[in-house]
Amino acid sequence: MKRMKAVSVMLAVIILSCSVLAGCSSGNSSNKESSNAPGGSTANSGESAGAIKLDIIETGNNLPTPDKDFIKQAIDKAIQSDLNLTVYASGDDYKNQLNVRLASGNFPDLFQVPDRASLKQFVEQGLLLDLTPYMDKLQPVKDFIGDESLKKTTMDGKVYAVPKAPNIPYNTYWIRKDWLDKLGLQPPATTDEFLNVVKAFADQDPDGNGKKDTLGLTSSKISAFAPIFGAFGVGDPNTFYVKDGKLTNSLYDPAMKDALGYIKKLIDTGAVDPEIMANTGLQHQEKAIKGQAGIIWIDWPNLSKDQFTEQIKKVNPNADWIQLAPPKGPGGQYDGPFDIGGTSGIYAIPKALENNKEKLQKVFDLLNFVSGQEGSMLVQFGISGTHYNLDGDKVVPTELMGKEAGFTWLYQFTGRPEMTYLQTKFAPQTKYIEFANSQPRIQILNGFLTNPDGYNPADAGRFIEEEFVKFIYGKNPLTGYEGFLSTLESSMNFKTYMDASTKQLEELGYGK
Amino acid sequence: MVKSTNDRIANAVVFVILLACGLVAVFPLLYVLSVSLTPFSEVLKNGGFILVPRSITFDAYHKLLTESNIPRAFGVTVLVTVIGTIMNMAITALMAYPLSRKQLPGRNFFLMMVVFTLLFSGGIIPTYLVVKSLGLLDSIWAMILPNLVWSFNVLIMKSFYESLPEELFESARIDGAKEFRILLQIVAPLSVPVTLTIGLFYTVGHWNEFFQAIMFVTDRSLFPLQVVVREILIQTQQPLENAENMTPSETLQMASVILASLPIILVYPFLQKHFTKGMLLGSVKG
Repeated sequence: MKRMKAVSVMLAVIILSCSVLAGCSSGNSSNKESSNAPGGSTANSGESAGAIKLDIIETGNNLPTPDKDFIKQAIDKAIQSDLNLTVYASGDDYKNQLNVRLASGNFPDLFQVPDRASLKQFVEQGLLLDLTPYMDKLQPVKDFIGDESLKKTTMDGKVYAVPKAPNIPYNTYWIRKDWLDKLGLQPPATTDEFLNVVKAFADQDPDGNGKKDTLGLTSSKISAFAPIFGAFGVGDPNTFYVKDGKLTNSLYDPAMKDALGYIKKLIDTGAVDPEIMANTGLQHQEKAIKGQAGIIWIDWPNLSKDQFTEQIKKVNPNADWIQLAPPKGPGGQYDGPFDIGGTSGIYAIPKALENNKEKLQKVFDLLNFVSGQEGSMLVQFGISGTHYNLDGDKVVPTELMGKEAGFTWLYQFTGRPEMTYLQTKFAPQTKYIEFANSQPRIQILNGFLTNPDGYNPADAGRFIEEEFVKFIYGKNPLTGYEGFLSTLESSMNFKTYMDASTKQLEELGYGK
Repeated sequence: MVKSTNDRIANAVVFVILLACGLVAVFPLLYVLSVSLTPFSEVLKNGGFILVPRSITFDAYHKLLTESNIPRAFGVTVLVTVIGTIMNMAITALMAYPLSRKQLPGRNFFLMMVVFTLLFSGGIIPTYLVVKSLGLLDSIWAMILPNLVWSFNVLIMKSFYESLPEELFESARIDGAKEFRILLQIVAPLSVPVTLTIGLFYTVGHWNEFFQAIMFVTDRSLFPLQVVVREILIQTQQPLENAENMTPSETLQMASVILASLPIILVYPFLQKHFTKGMLLGSVKG
């Protein structure tokens, strides 16, 4: 009996200590929490009286801690806010966090929407604030990103989010000029010459080490062939564009088969990186830097930024990468597709903020501020006098900009004027930026599309990629292309997708 | 003890196989260490592969320790690990001890409840809601309290306590000791191996804290080490998001991996002895 008593005392102690511990800890942080809650009417965070705390989440990296974050401090001062920006390095982590917060009602006050499919989903779930009635309050944002841009976030005639200002294309083929010179070749101008150069780079030992250890062409996934598709006048697989006045999907473009035939020829030479479909992240860039490949399809920052040119020079002081105009083919000359409906980011406000006028206004203030002259300069270049100086209208970067203002883009919620911005921040790369931007591209429209119910873009995308790999590696003969299309339609609901997409794009006035 | 030639050959074969296994295990670690100490240009010249560095530089470590969030994150992780492990151990022992006493009323019921949590959990969103309603979001407690007790460890400790001879308890009681005193003065000193083993489980768990930090913490100054290290590592695995991103070199990445794993690797040798003992004692002891 006595034992039992002792045991029950013990149990009581455990239970008590647990609850005490929990109590303590919730007491500790309850102050913080109350200002976090989106429904809270007065959201004073104590230390800065009157400042409204704004929770913002997005993907990104290299954000400094708040005490070193001079952009946060400057914005807080300008609009009397207390920004709490959290960035997630991995897109998956970000989606998890976002979904959990949306599901549990702990809404961030402004958040990045991962893609248009998510936008549609959130709209259907009634999570997003319809911004249409507030458009006059967001005039500076509208002026900054342009009326056209808002199409990208409009659904059923209502604007549900703010897209970033339009971006510009970065990708081109890059080729080793020193290898060309060594082999006595000219930069390839047509698809036939391209084939020869790719083959020569693999076979004729351009690095002169006596070993057959070089690759003609590398990149990541099927986009490695974007300019090749372009040379045949088609976009990358499953892209929509207007061709000869008609709305076309690249899969149904008659020239697609020719393009695949040519790519197969290219791969048959054995000079294309055999791991091309397996390269992820920046593996292809590494191969280029290490001097293993002679041509690469890549964006200019990843090959021409100071950081990388330095690495390239260290490996081989003679290495000379130059940009290559897209080779001419039977269908013209296009440096791959460029999505005019695409955006580098969409930001939405939760519907829950509707009832908190004060906070909502503060979010608008924030968006307007980073779109306005002063704020835009701040989030582009940093603090005037510290990170840049103004010479008339021209921004002159100081040394500190390169050193500590690398993260300011995280605050560019409405984007930036791309061309001037890049030319200021990447002055040595200006010619590459201009080259990439001035290449002819096939203007694709996928960014405007909303997937219909019953169509799973991930599944369809995977199926298309797998089948394309089979075609270009000769596992399936090209005569089976029609069979592939009908399987796609019957098993992936592709017909529904085609019909819905065509209807949506025609409503926007394309292909009529 | 005369060994036949056959025995010797068998021994040699076993030795070689084990040595190969050992090398395979050490190899990746050595690679990481070498790359972290070699200037990146050197690494690239060798085609990205280096096992023994030819020239050594501590630049990467210097950079990480002065320019990144790592020192701060290190502090957070140490704090979470120390506080967390102490609390874990206290609660686990306090839970395992009564459950190990056969005379505990309703013992099976409590055991069932413990086992139940091994098999079922609420899932992310309910957990998030609980954490939120307790006001733990954005505090280091969010990384400590939700996993205060790992039921598996309770069961290991329980079976260890059960293996102690009943006579000990009886004599202690004859001398007038109550349960608390028995736990503190008789049981605790006898269960060093299991305490260290389980303590190590918890420590490693806290040191590797990632998921809860990502879920429950939005304040950057409270991010633990693993979150910061992952941020450094993942940048080269994703397509370019912004031209301004400084992609960390491989040397920097590997240095961050070393910084994040070295402390815990250093702890292992000292606990090794108890570790194996504790594992065995916890498992098969009918």
